[in-house]
Amino acid sequence: MGASGTKNAEGFEELVRPHLERLYRYAWRLTAAKPEAEDLFQDVLVKAFDRLPELAALTDPGTWLARVMYNHFVDNRRQFARRRVFSIDESQLPEASIENLAGDLDPALDAERRQRMQQLDRALSALSDEYRLVVLMHDVEGYKLSEIQDITGDPVGTVKSRLHRARARLRDLLGADATFFHGASCKPVSEEDTDAVPAAE
Amino acid sequence: MPCQQLNDVIDDYIDGLRSDALAIDRHIAGCNDCRQRVERARSLQAALAEYARTSVPTPDPAFFTRALRAAVQDRGRRQHTRGWLKGFSSALAAGLVIWLVAGDWIGTHEQPVAAPLQVTMALESPRTINLVFSSATDLSDATLTVSLPPGIEIRGFQGQREISWMTSLREGRNVLPLSLIATSPQGGELLATLQHDDDNKTFRLQVTVTQTTSELAKHQMEYRT
Repeated sequence: MGASGTKNAEGFEELVRPHLERLYRYAWRLTAAKPEAEDLFQDVLVKAFDRLPELAALTDPGTWLARVMYNHFVDNRRQFARRRVFSIDESQLPEASIENLAGDLDPALDAERRQRMQQLDRALSALSDEYRLVVLMHDVEGYKLSEIQDITGDPVGTVKSRLHRARARLRDLLGADATFFHGASCKPVSEEDTDAVPAAE
Repeated sequence: MPCQQLNDVIDDYIDGLRSDALAIDRHIAGCNDCRQRVERARSLQAALAEYARTSVPTPDPAFFTRALRAAVQDRGRRQHTRGWLKGFSSALAAGLVIWLVAGDWIGTHEQPVAAPLQVTMALESPRTINLVFSSATDLSDATLTVSLPPGIEIRGFQGQREISWMTSLREGRNVLPLSLIATSPQGGELLATLQHDDDNKTFRLQVTVTQTTSELAKHQMEYRT
């Protein structure tokens, strides 16, 4: 690599390094598997380096990188989609990452926390891709609605509506398990069904 | 405020986006159902925040550096983690290989394991085993059946000796993580059978159980040497 190449590489790293961890987490949320997440992450860095002048002119490289990742994922969904062996009946399999939660001092609390995370993981897996992704982006990874609009191209109103329906669906799924909300059950509101969330979009 | 109206705005309320939050506060103070509804919504948000902290493994610290270097230096030659074991003539007869590495296997010492496959685990101590299937082509509507020896269980499937999944294999690597627990010391043979159309292939895994984790560590040390 020549002097200009070295300079480009250093400039590239300086631009993207602050965003790598969040970008990696986003790749994981899209693909839900480490090999695919690493491939997607790598692909996006290659694409970003190819577009270094464009990247360097941006005020918000993080959102731009996430948008490139989202588009690349959508364009190659067949390659990156959640098609792991266990995805067909994933709801019943304990997730290795959840199994490996760092332990608390209190084994009972630790077991309860792990069980709760497994319940949540199963419920998330039961959502449609659109619902799961909006919850993961907004409520788990902390993307703002406007950022999700910039990344996915969907209007804020659509994103917000989708988020609320996804949360409602999650509450329904988790409410069916008596242990998740620790008995905080409540009877349905009348007409609630008029806003019922379809099982899949 | 009617209960239905609160139900429609509950997410905005817990997100702090309602200008009429005081009116909602007053309503839920006197309405047990709505109070519980709000508690459940908040409980879900708290659980999702915890999920954020626990559900994505932290990558190897060197991974980012390697990925950056690959992006700027090795374009077109980057090391993807999938797509090995191509070129087999028949997907099931020759193109499926079971790899078995326990625990944190990504990017460490993956090697194809010659039969018989073996794994050792301690009694009543969960262990995650990753069964890695590599397929030369996409396979849809395959059936994967795991048969367990007495005293070995998949967590979440207590008491079941045989568990089947309908699944699809993608070209490349496909992972089935199994969280196993030994409830008795006898061990035995775990069978994983993959069936697609009229073809089937069975992989065998010998499970040995030690009484304690310290005995397991000793066993693993002897196995390496």
